[in-house]
Amino acid sequence: MNTDVKPSWMASRMPCLGGWWAGLTTPSMAREAPYLAVLPWLITAGLVFLTASGLVLAVYYNPADAFASRQFIAREVNNGWLIEGFHATGTTLVFAAAYLLLLRGMLARSYRAPGELVWLLDIVAFALLLLVGWLGFALTGGAAGYWSVMNATNAAMLLPGALGALGTWFFGGPDGPGTLARLLVLHIALALVIFFILWLRHGAKKAATPLPAPALRVAFHPYYTAQYFVALVVSALIGCVLLFFYPHFGQSPLNNVPGGPLALATGAGVPWYLAPLAGLSALFHGTYGGILGLAAGLVLLLALPWLDRSGPGRRAGGLWRLLTWVLALDVLGLGWAACGAAGGLSGLLVVVFGAWYFLHFLVLTPIVTALEAQ
Amino acid sequence: MRPVFGKLWLATGLLALLGGNALAHDRLSPFHFQSQGLLGSTDKAAAQRGFLVYETVCASCHTAKALHYRDLEALGLTPDQVAGIAAGVKTANGAPATLNDTFPAPKIPAGAFGGAVPPDLSDIAAQRPHGARYIDHLLTGYAPAPAGVTLLPSYYYNTAYPGGQLAMPPPLKADDVTYADGKSATVAQQAADVSEFLAWSADPNLDARHEVGLRAVLFLVFLTIIAIASKRRIWRETV
Ligand code: HEC
Repeated sequence: MNTDVKPSWMASRMPCLGGWWAGLTTPSMAREAPYLAVLPWLITAGLVFLTASGLVLAVYYNPADAFASRQFIAREVNNGWLIEGFHATGTTLVFAAAYLLLLRGMLARSYRAPGELVWLLDIVAFALLLLVGWLGFALTGGAAGYWSVMNATNAAMLLPGALGALGTWFFGGPDGPGTLARLLVLHIALALVIFFILWLRHGAKKAATPLPAPALRVAFHPYYTAQYFVALVVSALIGCVLLFFYPHFGQSPLNNVPGGPLALATGAGVPWYLAPLAGLSALFHGTYGGILGLAAGLVLLLALPWLDRSGPGRRAGGLWRLLTWVLALDVLGLGWAACGAAGGLSGLLVVVFGAWYFLHFLVLTPIVTALEAQ
Repeated sequence: MRPVFGKLWLATGLLALLGGNALAHDRLSPFHFQSQGLLGSTDKAAAQRGFLVYETVCASCHTAKALHYRDLEALGLTPDQVAGIAAGVKTANGAPATLNDTFPAPKIPAGAFGGAVPPDLSDIAAQRPHGARYIDHLLTGYAPAPAGVTLLPSYYYNTAYPGGQLAMPPPLKADDVTYADGKSATVAQQAADVSEFLAWSADPNLDARHEVGLRAVLFLVFLTIIAIASKRRIWRETV
């Protein structure tokens, strides 16, 4: 606290640390931010955790024999099953937080001026997260991952012009013996890029959030350290329940079969956090249908600040909030149907839920927000 | 605790189902495996018996490439016992197996079983929905094909298998094996035992997972309470 009175041992030798500590303890933050405001920080903490557990996995992982090396990790490496569980469950938690963050942004309409850039960076980080999550799913070497890589490489090669060149560069050509080694590097490199985007987002968020009057401010420490600690412990509790009692939560049993041309995957077989996108990409047919569905789904999210016609400074109306909750259920349903959970009805439900997604953004959002603004 | 509740459930369920009429085919099917459920653990005695069934019956067609002989020590066998088991098995080059060898692959003529390939069994319980329970039903699910179903040549009708037609001949016969613990080796008993063995094979860390998990969850519940209390205390000073 009294760093300015007498610099501590460390601060006199490493001044930047002293400044950092002073920054944490001077009142500079709004009071009583809601618990859910910690989501960006939780995502960052989750990504650090994933980086650490991923580092251990990467030491033993062998892209040339992916499935066997995962068996080795789970069965032979000391506590390897635990580290693998950390990585899988950590992913589930980070995605849960990311989906919640987007839902919260929509409900609060925080994507409107001056928050557009924060929202755009959120979506970019989310898209990267999905890509990294998919790459991790591909690296499992299970039957579902194997077919997903096969389909993705084929689709990427077929893209016209510069996009096709980009796809070829990304995958290095058709699916083959070297593909997973390449995807491993991209999985790690892109995960690190997410940190950079989150750092940018942090800056943009600070600029977009007005500070309260000095008398109403509190210091990060001890007030928010105490609050963040609660959020962290509760997340760890949820994570432990999943890790130790539902280790395969949200994963297809199909992916426990080693991948190969003979192990045919039926249905999407993707983990839960990719399922809504699998639904969107199943919506359109034709050569480019899959990629078109994916891209359209994400572009609509990016365009939300401009699809909302309510103008600045208005609170969200009841109808809009209701529609946003319906969209949340719709996305859940889309993922659920895309996993084939509804049996013979799945195909139909994917179309219905997928169509609602587009209807929500392209038609309902502009109309409802414009009406509520009047 | 749990098995007791399981049995109570079972009893109530049976009573509810018209005095057990619907489930009255007389097999000792364990409707509940010890490895199932939130706090399940591997039934080592059953898994040891199941290994005997695997080794005697299933291994002549199936592989379990992820398993080493040394892994069997986790089922409560002593290193000497396991070494004895391994010594009785020939590896691909004809030498007796050692503790560090994986279970060998049987030689199956190409095109046997109408082209169907017996899958590797190391992870089969994780690959099929309802794991052990499914395998148990599969092994005891052979039945004459109902009228109107035409079986493919060299396929068998099985009520548990999706699609109903399976290339695996009914593998179990009563008293194929002799259990060291004196249990009578009925088909139902063997099926249950080998299912528990395969459940262990697919999830060898089950016991540790549930043991560590219970402690971690209890610890975190208390830590949550403390964290919330301290947070409220700290924030109280601001107002
Ligand atoms: C005579 C050879 C033979 C023996 C002995 C045998 N199996 Fe099989 N098994 C097969 C074949 C062939 C298949 C593939 C069936 C198909 O694809 O239709 C198979 C498939 C299976 C499957 C997969 C079913 C599915 O859902 O796809 C399981 C589980 C299985 N066997 C378990 C066992 C167990 C346990 C034993 C020992 C009690 C055993 N088998 C003994 C030949 C055998």
